[in-house]
Amino acid sequence: MIKVSNLSKKFGDLAVLKDISFEVAKGEIVVIIGPSGTGKSTLLRCLNYLETPTTGQIHIGNATIDAVSHKVKEVTALRQQSSFVFQNYSLFANKTALQNVAESLITVWKIPTQEALATAKAILIKVGLKDKLDVYPSQLSGGQQQRVGIARAMAAKGEVILFDEPTSALDPEWVDEVLAVMKQLAIEKQTMIVVTHEMQFAKEVADRVIFMEDGFIVEQGSPKEVFDNPKHERTKAFVKRALKQH
Amino acid sequence: MQSSFDLQYIIELMPILFKYLGVTMEMALWGFLFALILALGLALVRVFKIAFIQHLASLYISFFRGTPLLVQLFLLYYGFPQFMPIFIGMDAFTAAIIGLSLHFSAYMAESIRAAILGIDKSQMEACLSLGMTRLQAMKRVILPQASRVATPSLMNYFIDMIKSTSLAFTLGVAEIMAKAQMEAASSFKFFESFLAVAVIYWVVVIFFTRIQHLLEKRLNKAY
Repeated sequence: MIKVSNLSKKFGDLAVLKDISFEVAKGEIVVIIGPSGTGKSTLLRCLNYLETPTTGQIHIGNATIDAVSHKVKEVTALRQQSSFVFQNYSLFANKTALQNVAESLITVWKIPTQEALATAKAILIKVGLKDKLDVYPSQLSGGQQQRVGIARAMAAKGEVILFDEPTSALDPEWVDEVLAVMKQLAIEKQTMIVVTHEMQFAKEVADRVIFMEDGFIVEQGSPKEVFDNPKHERTKAFVKRALKQH
Repeated sequence: MQSSFDLQYIIELMPILFKYLGVTMEMALWGFLFALILALGLALVRVFKIAFIQHLASLYISFFRGTPLLVQLFLLYYGFPQFMPIFIGMDAFTAAIIGLSLHFSAYMAESIRAAILGIDKSQMEACLSLGMTRLQAMKRVILPQASRVATPSLMNYFIDMIKSTSLAFTLGVAEIMAKAQMEAASSFKFFESFLAVAVIYWVVVIFFTRIQHLLEKRLNKAY
């Protein structure tokens, strides 16, 4: 359902992604781990064309795009196939929780406002924010904001939800409530690609773990393979360090 | 000839001048409306860096900020008809509104642009990530937030514009300043006449400053 081929990204002379290829099946939960600054977030942002890759093809759902020849219309079409959960939530500051979640339904999918608001309400109830529907982001805790962020991504009708370190900016007390929502999505077989430092979450929830370093995919496999039996020295070193911290 | 200050004259002049305040406010309101529309267009052209047009926009802004309003009004009203017949029939009132709009749009475009650029870029990214177009993002998320930021400075320009309408008397518009000038010329009570008109401008500006503060308070309460 998702196919990434030979993706590369350079910032000036600096190559951040080097020839990345992978596929994700429908309903699969893929967690990308690796040291900071190795291109994990850039990869995720490229999948959504928030960063334009230097070369490579991306195929999601019924949208295909080539970095070299991409057009604005193709970019918009690609983005409609996925949605994004940001590290810093990035909720629309001028809209209530309900309006945040309903926005893509109204603007992108042209669903009548009343119907869109009803859908948005149902999703917010699902993530446990029944009593925060009409509250603006500035009055929500970090954990609540991120749950709205996830609800907004759920509403967007994409094939896949991309999570860019969704709990990294949170105070420790809010991390669990956000992970709980993500686990619920996993149970429902929502396709997800998650960049995270939450190793426990990766172990428990991922169908597949991808370890990235220096812009390469070094190793990938089931959580058991990657965490318990890493093949590469670099994976071993990272996993050892990462699991010690948690 | 020396004469003493004539308060009675001012009191009698006030209601006469007041009748002409309508023309002044009409110019300011129309001028501001057109300036706002123009400024928004200019700001968007510059923010989106639309090829070629953005350079025209920069040139436009540079010219209207770089030359005095009075010179611009004279160019428009006395200068242009010489070459462009369209302008020959234009009355002074219309010319003043056009001149004020063009002049203030250049300043206002810069405030609007700054307000747009001041909105965190993550807001635009969030819109794009959902599959919205840049224009949709502007309309639904960025501009509503930027308008809150820009409102204080735009209101300042509106107040400035009210005062700048006084230059329209040089084109022959019968507004409040022109009336004061006429009254002064016939009564020789220059000090009283111009003091009276100054007080009226002042009161009007105080009134709109109040409105500005109320508006800002409301906008800040919104979210």
